[in-house]
Amino acid sequence: MQLDAKIPAGPLAQKWDKHRFELKLVNPANKRKYDIIVVGTGLAGGSASASLAELGYNVKTFCIQDSPRRAHSIAAQGGINASKNYQNDGDSDWRLFYDTIKGGDFRAREANVYRLAQLSGNIIDQCVAQGVPFAREYGGQLANRSFGGAQVSRTFYARGQTGQQLLLGAYSALSRQIAAGKVQMYTRREMLDIVVIEGHAKGVVVRNLVSGEVEKYAADAVVLATGGYGNVFYLSTNAMGSNVTATYRAYKKGAFFANPCFTQIHPTCIPVHGTYQSKLTLMSESLRNDGRVWVPKKPGDKRKPSEIPEAERDYYLENKYPSFGNLVPRDVASRNAKEQCDKGKGVGETRLAVYLDFADAIKRDGKETIAKKYGNLFQMYEKITADNPYETPMMIYPAVHYTMGGLWVDYNLMSTIDGLFVLGEANFSDHGANRLGASALMQGLADGYFVIPYTIGGYLATTAKKQIKTDHLAFRESEKNINDFTNKLLSIKGKRTVDDFHRQLGNVLWEYCGMSRNDAGLEKARKLIQELRGEFWKNVLVPGSGREFNQSLEKAGRVADFLEFGELLVIDALSRKESCGGHFNEAHQTEENEAMRDDENFCHVSAWEYKGYGNDPVLNKEPLTFENVKLTQRSYK
Amino acid sequence: MGWFIKTFTSSIGKKWLMAITGLSFCGFLTSHLLGNLTLYSGKDAFNSYAEHLHSLGVLISVSEKGLLFFGIIHVLTGLVLFIQNIKSRPVRYSVKKSAGGRTIGSFTMPYTGLVLIAFIVLHLINFHFVDKTGTTIYQIVQEAFSKPVYIIGYIFAMIVVAVHVSHGFWSAFQTLGVNHPKYMPFIRKAGIAFSLIVGLGFGFIPVFISLTI
Amino acid sequence: MTKTLNLTLRVWRQKGPDSAGKLETYDAKNISTDMSFLEMIDVINEQLTLEGKEPIAFDHDCREGICGMCGAVVNGRPHGPEKGTTLCQLHMRHFSDGDTIFIEPWRSRAFKIIKDLAVDRSALDIIIQAGGYVSVNTGGAPDANAIPISQETAEKAMDAAACIGCGACVAACPNASAMLFTSAKISQLALLPQGKPEAAKRAIEMVRTMDKLGFGNCTNERECEAECPKEISIVNIARMNREFFKASFFSDVK
Repeated sequence: MQLDAKIPAGPLAQKWDKHRFELKLVNPANKRKYDIIVVGTGLAGGSASASLAELGYNVKTFCIQDSPRRAHSIAAQGGINASKNYQNDGDSDWRLFYDTIKGGDFRAREANVYRLAQLSGNIIDQCVAQGVPFAREYGGQLANRSFGGAQVSRTFYARGQTGQQLLLGAYSALSRQIAAGKVQMYTRREMLDIVVIEGHAKGVVVRNLVSGEVEKYAADAVVLATGGYGNVFYLSTNAMGSNVTATYRAYKKGAFFANPCFTQIHPTCIPVHGTYQSKLTLMSESLRNDGRVWVPKKPGDKRKPSEIPEAERDYYLENKYPSFGNLVPRDVASRNAKEQCDKGKGVGETRLAVYLDFADAIKRDGKETIAKKYGNLFQMYEKITADNPYETPMMIYPAVHYTMGGLWVDYNLMSTIDGLFVLGEANFSDHGANRLGASALMQGLADGYFVIPYTIGGYLATTAKKQIKTDHLAFRESEKNINDFTNKLLSIKGKRTVDDFHRQLGNVLWEYCGMSRNDAGLEKARKLIQELRGEFWKNVLVPGSGREFNQSLEKAGRVADFLEFGELLVIDALSRKESCGGHFNEAHQTEENEAMRDDENFCHVSAWEYKGYGNDPVLNKEPLTFENVKLTQRSYK
Repeated sequence: MGWFIKTFTSSIGKKWLMAITGLSFCGFLTSHLLGNLTLYSGKDAFNSYAEHLHSLGVLISVSEKGLLFFGIIHVLTGLVLFIQNIKSRPVRYSVKKSAGGRTIGSFTMPYTGLVLIAFIVLHLINFHFVDKTGTTIYQIVQEAFSKPVYIIGYIFAMIVVAVHVSHGFWSAFQTLGVNHPKYMPFIRKAGIAFSLIVGLGFGFIPVFISLTI
Repeated sequence: MTKTLNLTLRVWRQKGPDSAGKLETYDAKNISTDMSFLEMIDVINEQLTLEGKEPIAFDHDCREGICGMCGAVVNGRPHGPEKGTTLCQLHMRHFSDGDTIFIEPWRSRAFKIIKDLAVDRSALDIIIQAGGYVSVNTGGAPDANAIPISQETAEKAMDAAACIGCGACVAACPNASAMLFTSAKISQLALLPQGKPEAAKRAIEMVRTMDKLGFGNCTNERECEAECPKEISIVNIARMNREFFKASFFSDVK
């Protein structure tokens, strides 16, 4: 299939303005005749629901948690980028655009990224107007901090809880619309299917997680904002409930899945302790501003860090990348940590960790200064590990954090199913092969506040309105399929728990499709996943029934999808015979072990098309054309 | 006047009623204690204080009615709050521990309150509605405090007052919105000091009297 | 140092909102001190599942102390014995070998039990819907730096805004009152210039809604601030009381 990204013609900086003018509008009086379904209430879904309701549409919003305020956007710590140039340090839309494109290793669409940069300032204005308490300078102006991958200070923040504050802003706007009756809020509902009628998304089928009932909802358009799929690795920094089910089931209904192998591994997380571990905790990237990363020079050195003299320490990032040192981008830092541990130089009980040492910074700036900057992070670290980072170096290790891949969308954020829009982390569009810090919040809110309100109007205004009721055959079929699926899961009554399968899947992916990949490993992973999936459907044990609050059943459905999706991720990784950003194929590296892109053959988006269970998906390519930036090899030496 | 009723029947409104009436009782306690301190100077001083007080005439009866009115509000509102608060948690915890917020004063508030109502009624019967013909107030006091039961009862009641006030005092300020990191530590200390002064000031009267007989 | 513990758990089990519940006893063996409390329950749930029993239902999501979804009363303390800590951030090293641990759900008339330890906290959402927002539509906001806000004010607003809406304040309050939660939002928006135009309406509507939902009254017991995992202060309750006073007597809102 020929993918049409519908990128407007004209100069980069004018595309969005021109496009907004060209988009057809829905008459204000007619907006109330349209129903829109939004799935997910993170930054993208929450802001989209509120903004669409403000325009006059009838919105039905769904989330799996008990409240829309719990979505995992809430956990973002560091901040949100915007090209406000309040610091007078030379920032501009163009610079933010360029940093994002380069940070993404030239695998994102120019037009989308430029629009993102253009909208970034509006987001800050909007959030401040909502009462988001961003950090301020003494004079009352907004404060900024710097973040990885940029040489300007453009990150706005609210302590270490920026995601929380932005989400609560969107949640408050959403709450206002719920009170006004313009949004119907459905909490504790899990979307299990998209209903497509005559090629158009016309509704969703969800499971009421409290009663277990399957419920059907029809609408004129569906917006998915269901986040990323990092939990396919079992251990990640994502929330326990984050999953791929909504996007994967849309994929099965005809939405293409783009670049699933672009997964971001964050370098500074608290290392794994034991097999019971359920999730990994991120320590903000900002720690690398003052912490020095090192391992013992001698493999297998089991001495305490304080007993290892300076001469026997290997500050490998500083040695290898003299100009960026400890501040290399996330993918580079992560890969190097793994490399050291693979050489047997890892530290800690599991030998899967490296030191992040603040001793020099404390000596230089004093304990108080360091406490002021990182006090809450140090406290969090101590809470989890019982080690005091003021006295002994932190131990860190990379962990799965964000997924750049997602459902393929055009410039209007519409997937390959007409009327199915995808926002935020759930789509693939803006971060290429690697996301820069503080850009996820920006994208989620840009999509929800400032893109979808326009583009959904363009779709509705140019599509013949057709009233669909939930007793339509397509709805009834979908409901039946879901009930069959549930009954099948419950009837297996095998010997292994859902978590047990999930953990094993995660191990396979982490081992063979994690920070560093090779073809042989990927082939092996694919086979292992197929086998595991086969076993799952014969030997999984799901207690309870389908007609009640049943958390094991919820997990089982999600893991069933992960077991299929994991294979797609591996297939995508296998097909991309280059290294770029979060995808590092060992066969494609420079002499200095850096990622080596192949712009001639792989400067495209890989969009996968579902072809039925057991059949290989079909690859569709959207070529990426760069008219405004020059493709270069990233270098942080 | 719908808004007025709504305001004072809201959870915060009811708390205001408790705070305002409670604080005025603190004022009453202060003046009552100041007056009673004359006891420590002997019979004549106390009797002349009582005479002075009664010569105020209308003023005193207005104050009495005011106190009664405030008392009714304080008790009734307190009862409503007590019942509502019990109902707000129909199933209790099997195990519940304090995190250090509660004090003896705070968690006994409704109970010390009930004890105080009983005390006040008895107190009024003994000293206020008593037949005062042919005797002085000092003699009445002296006679009452010649009975050990009454001394113990009175001292117990004064401890209860102190406990009640130890929470009530600062709590009233908090309820009325006077809580600032700069002032609150002082208000809390002042509350403890006030409750000690009230408890000791009144509580020593029977001891003093029985020692001076 | 990692050690292992053997514990006895007394867990509240309840089928649904209208069923009777009771404490059940479970043995938790070989629990690593590095586990979080919720990971310990995960382990128990794996065992229960394999034994053909129903696992314990409990809400949780981010497991890093920010989403506000988890929470249970552990040995009589919401989110357990550690100060400023959510249940997911509580680690087993704070317990000793041989301990008996009581685990109960949040208890309040306003929070119905869904199952076991999972409760329905939608009442808190309803309080926010009553006015916990600034009525500003998307688009047309003035430049973010147009109104300066002093650092002190921004920090105070942030102190209040840190609320994660977990409901521990209600669970901890001897009266099951939601004053700390409600006051945190009223305070945040009352402090900021953006929230001022609607301050009166917000204070009145949010307080009245809170009252209607069946929460108890505040008696200044201070258990809420002592248990709040984000250590939100009752200074905010005093501020709400002031806002409610101003709104009741000096605004046109009836």
